[in-house]
Amino acid sequence: MNLFFLTLGFGLVTASVLSLLSVGLSLQFGVTNFVNFAYGSYLSAGMLFTWTFSAKLHFPFVLATVCGVIMTAILALVVNEVVFEPFAKRRKSIFYMLIVTFGLSLLLDSILQIFYGVGFDKFPIKQSAAIKVGPFDFTSDQLLIILVAVASMVVIHLLLTRTSLGKKMRAMSDNPDLAKISGIDTKSVTRATWAISGALAGLGGVVLAINTVYFETTTGDSLLFVIFAAVILGGIGQTYGAMLGALVIGVVTEVSAVWVSSAYKTDVAFLILVIMLLVRPQGIIASQGRA
Amino acid sequence: MDIILGYVTTILVFFFTYNIFTLGLNIQFGYTGILNFTVITFMAIGGYVAGVLAMPKAAAGSGIYYILGLNLPWPIAALGGVLAAGLLGYLIGQIALKRLRSDYLAIVTLATGTLLYGLIGNGTSIFDGWQGLFNVPQPFAGFRTWTPLGYSIFFTIITAILFVLLWLFANRIYKSPLGRVMRAVRDDQDVVEAFGKNTFKVRMTAMVIGSMYVGVGGVLTIAYITALSPAGWTTGETFVVWAALLVGGRGNNFGAIVGSFLVAVVFNEATRYLPQIPAHPNLIPDIRYVLIGLAVILSVYFRPQGMFPEKKNTFLEVPLGDSSKAIEEHLGGLSKVGEQ
Repeated sequence: MNLFFLTLGFGLVTASVLSLLSVGLSLQFGVTNFVNFAYGSYLSAGMLFTWTFSAKLHFPFVLATVCGVIMTAILALVVNEVVFEPFAKRRKSIFYMLIVTFGLSLLLDSILQIFYGVGFDKFPIKQSAAIKVGPFDFTSDQLLIILVAVASMVVIHLLLTRTSLGKKMRAMSDNPDLAKISGIDTKSVTRATWAISGALAGLGGVVLAINTVYFETTTGDSLLFVIFAAVILGGIGQTYGAMLGALVIGVVTEVSAVWVSSAYKTDVAFLILVIMLLVRPQGIIASQGRA
Repeated sequence: MDIILGYVTTILVFFFTYNIFTLGLNIQFGYTGILNFTVITFMAIGGYVAGVLAMPKAAAGSGIYYILGLNLPWPIAALGGVLAAGLLGYLIGQIALKRLRSDYLAIVTLATGTLLYGLIGNGTSIFDGWQGLFNVPQPFAGFRTWTPLGYSIFFTIITAILFVLLWLFANRIYKSPLGRVMRAVRDDQDVVEAFGKNTFKVRMTAMVIGSMYVGVGGVLTIAYITALSPAGWTTGETFVVWAALLVGGRGNNFGAIVGSFLVAVVFNEATRYLPQIPAHPNLIPDIRYVLIGLAVILSVYFRPQGMFPEKKNTFLEVPLGDSSKAIEEHLGGLSKVGEQ
């Protein structure tokens, strides 16, 4: 029973990390309607930028994280301007967009590797103290991760429901052409979406790195399909679905360590993805007209 | 002289195997529009399975572990490898091809690739983990006593023959009714479905045939190098095949050959001779991958049809009045196209 609560605690932390990442991916998919296979590179970029700010430039860690997240958002914006925007102008089919994001992941990963090299890095932060919360054992860092994730989810919820940008994003997600002729500046909404998606990828990357301690340039790519699993589980393009998917995937993969070796954590996520695609490909929260 | 000849044969084997990969991807993506983002995994499975079927049982206490070790003769082992690659394609197809969305298939292929890479690398008892298989017996080694060069030349010829056969078969599929339906599925799946065709079956056929092609390439790779480890099939290699197909021209097998030559041989070999920088041993491979990624993106942007675009079909247009002459002309034109 102890082991169960221990893994459940880990599960909540993993779910928090995943929720940031899957919401970032899902939000962007909803607005631009293509899957970003380079998302893993954004994630890696987020933690590596933060590493530069904290380990090389000796910023305080919180400030380094803020800078790293902003840099990742800028990266996502620049990539949208330079790569996706011209393709969108030429009205390339989704088919080609997937290939482009796929090629982009190799491009970005290799560029990151040129600058950061191969091998593992870690943030220059101290190991945090253990805290007992009810039946769970957390470290103070893990509690902070959960807090950051919950706060971010609340902010995303408020953004989508209360602000004009959020409403525009939802409108574009429902019907981009209708949104356009209704006078929504789809281009700037797309830009804002990429910035948010990049920022969430960066933030998710940093909290992931805090949780797993060691990371390298390919960490993002090896986690990418776990994020996909969470997004598909919740219903692709559904923001709240992505939160739910992240919760399920995070908890199930960690709790599975009670029965199978924890080395096979990600394989459990793959299994959930496969079962989901066979049984309910539209996801828990299905969107209309898709899938 | 021998060194140059040995180098040329190695490059030729490399060229033919990459060609076979590209043909396989062309059947999947170029003909049928299936986004396979883990081409190289099929190569690995084909190679590994052929390897463990041909190798003798893993010696106890040698520190090398792998499954099977059946010591089978090469033709059977090779067939096993190709079938294993086809089976993997079938399984992935079962999961993802029933859906209309092309991105689901892309996600599942990518996920499977990541998963198998981790499983094979960490699972030391399957294919010897990160160390990989080595000392795989060479096919036809017991035929006669080979000089190393003689063997290389012999192997090149075998590879060339296999490549020509596979090339002819790929062209045959393209012209067949099955090929026509494949292209129709690529262009508009809903229309094909409305005509009563089983699009799932067609896409599955393309998926399995393409996977088996890549599997053949994998078998040739492990047979020639006599070793295979996860370092030899990183995700980057998948992009090489994609870049080759996109640069050459999707849907056109001749384009696939040109693309493989340009990307896999000329580009890969040329960057090998760039001066190494001792402080950054990975700089050159990284730059190579940056350029390959750029090639993929730029070719989709500027010339998605590739250097050698797919030929447009010619259809018989019968003018009003005397039509026999028009039909004759059309048939004459058709036979000319066939001769090319």
